[in-house]
Amino acid sequence: MVADPSIVETTELRKSYDDVEAIRGLNLQVPAGSICGFLGRNGAGKTTTIKVLLGMARPTSGQARVFGLAVDAQQASLDIRRRTGFVSDDKDLYGYMTVEGMIRFTTAFFPRWRGDLERRYLRAFELPVGRKVKALSRGMRTKLALLLALCRGAELLILDEPTSGLDPAMTEEVLQALVTHVASEEMTVFFSSHQIAEVDQIADRVVIIHRGQAVLTGSLDDIRQNFRRIQLVFDGDAPEPAFRAPGVKRVWRKGRVLTVLSSEGADGILDEARALSPVSVDVVPVTLKEIFLETVATED
Amino acid sequence: MLWYKSWEETRWRFLIGLVVLMCSAVGTVVAYPQLVKLLPLAPRLDLSGEIGRRVTEAIELAREYRGYVWSQWFRQNMMQMWALFAVLLGTGGLLSQASGGGTLFTLSLPATRNRLLGVRAATGLAELLVLAFIPSLLLPVLSPAIGQAYGIGDALIHSACMFLAGAVFFSLAFLLSTVFSDIWRPPLIVLCGAAVLALCEPVLPGLSRYSLFRVMSAEVYFRGGGLPWLGLFASAAVSVAMLYAATRNIARQDF
Repeated sequence: MVADPSIVETTELRKSYDDVEAIRGLNLQVPAGSICGFLGRNGAGKTTTIKVLLGMARPTSGQARVFGLAVDAQQASLDIRRRTGFVSDDKDLYGYMTVEGMIRFTTAFFPRWRGDLERRYLRAFELPVGRKVKALSRGMRTKLALLLALCRGAELLILDEPTSGLDPAMTEEVLQALVTHVASEEMTVFFSSHQIAEVDQIADRVVIIHRGQAVLTGSLDDIRQNFRRIQLVFDGDAPEPAFRAPGVKRVWRKGRVLTVLSSEGADGILDEARALSPVSVDVVPVTLKEIFLETVATED
Repeated sequence: MLWYKSWEETRWRFLIGLVVLMCSAVGTVVAYPQLVKLLPLAPRLDLSGEIGRRVTEAIELAREYRGYVWSQWFRQNMMQMWALFAVLLGTGGLLSQASGGGTLFTLSLPATRNRLLGVRAATGLAELLVLAFIPSLLLPVLSPAIGQAYGIGDALIHSACMFLAGAVFFSLAFLLSTVFSDIWRPPLIVLCGAAVLALCEPVLPGLSRYSLFRVMSAEVYFRGGGLPWLGLFASAAVSVAMLYAATRNIARQDF
């Protein structure tokens, strides 16, 4: 089986602002057709990565490609933006334009603009076409920004914290619209978030970024399958073993309990653990939230 | 559509400028008969110093309608107001809050930064062109109503000089708007610079022959000389250089 080509790919990507290194050797692949959640704490480098991909910031070193095109070449960057829908974190649009004016303005840049989707989302999002953007609520502005991204006929959607500042009901509405759209249109989605629940809900692939580096990349199913917590209970105080099995992310002791977090299944660790003669062994799956917190904590 | 965006962002500044300048032009014409009545009182005034010299000169110029129009309109009212609106129209752009936000949205569009800036500059300059010519062309149109005549050729030449030389103010505000993201510093810096330039004329009379304001008002042409080609060329070159610097500045910036 041939692997899906990467729509987004970065190799040893670095970006510095004066003395601050926002991205520090980021290696990233987003396969075609995937919904990739880009998880990270505030200031982890998510927005900077997105800005580099869209030509808004220039890489200090390393490579970044979208559709196989170098992001720092002017003509290539134009092609990338022509084929990409984008929603920024601040959902900042032109306050002086009406909703309709904003749509007409955007239409002019995208020859493959989807009038049918525009009508559908105008109805579904109940956007007041005659109202000025500055008079819209944040939720409405998010919906408008999403409409402007979805109707471009884009092959790739890049969304920076698409649900930030929205209430749970609005968040759900936006996510559902996104999932429905991606299901009906063949496209790749790369969206940043620090809301683990929404990544869990819609992504099939995840990249966790921490301090400018990708610390975990893979399909969500594989990650869920491979991450295991192994809990060993002993008669007396738990020993301090040095596990040689691959994938040991963290080992911690508390009284008679020894807990091991593994990113490569439990089998290898169980083989070693049995030699320690525990009185009980439990292997439990790990949630994405725990994986995220443990991964970030381990890197710290 | 970038033209539409630029127009939307600047239209109120432009329209207010147009109305103010047109009202001022009308006021300049209709005030002349009243001024003529007051002229016989002028010799009684005791005027001394640089300001006195200038007032005396303005009175002398006002004895003839062409001199009055140049002194009152092209050298004073229009020049001050037009320069102000040149600065205001030059303020704003990609970085600025004056553009109504949406910087990242704009940058996500398939348009180069040069094109974004080029359209913004061209829109502003086109609006300034209108501000330079339309109010001034009211002078030859309205003058017959008060029994005077003003040549349309003179109006066109003075307006062209105002535009070509005064574009320096627009370009400087435009350049500074690529440096500062707030809406206050660019116009304040340019207006302070203009005020210093204006104050230099009476304080350092020797330098006044090189003054930008002198080129803007086409004083040499008014006094019977030719067009101030050197001044116009130098001003235009400075404007082009500053607009180019603005594009280079935006091209190298991270957002």
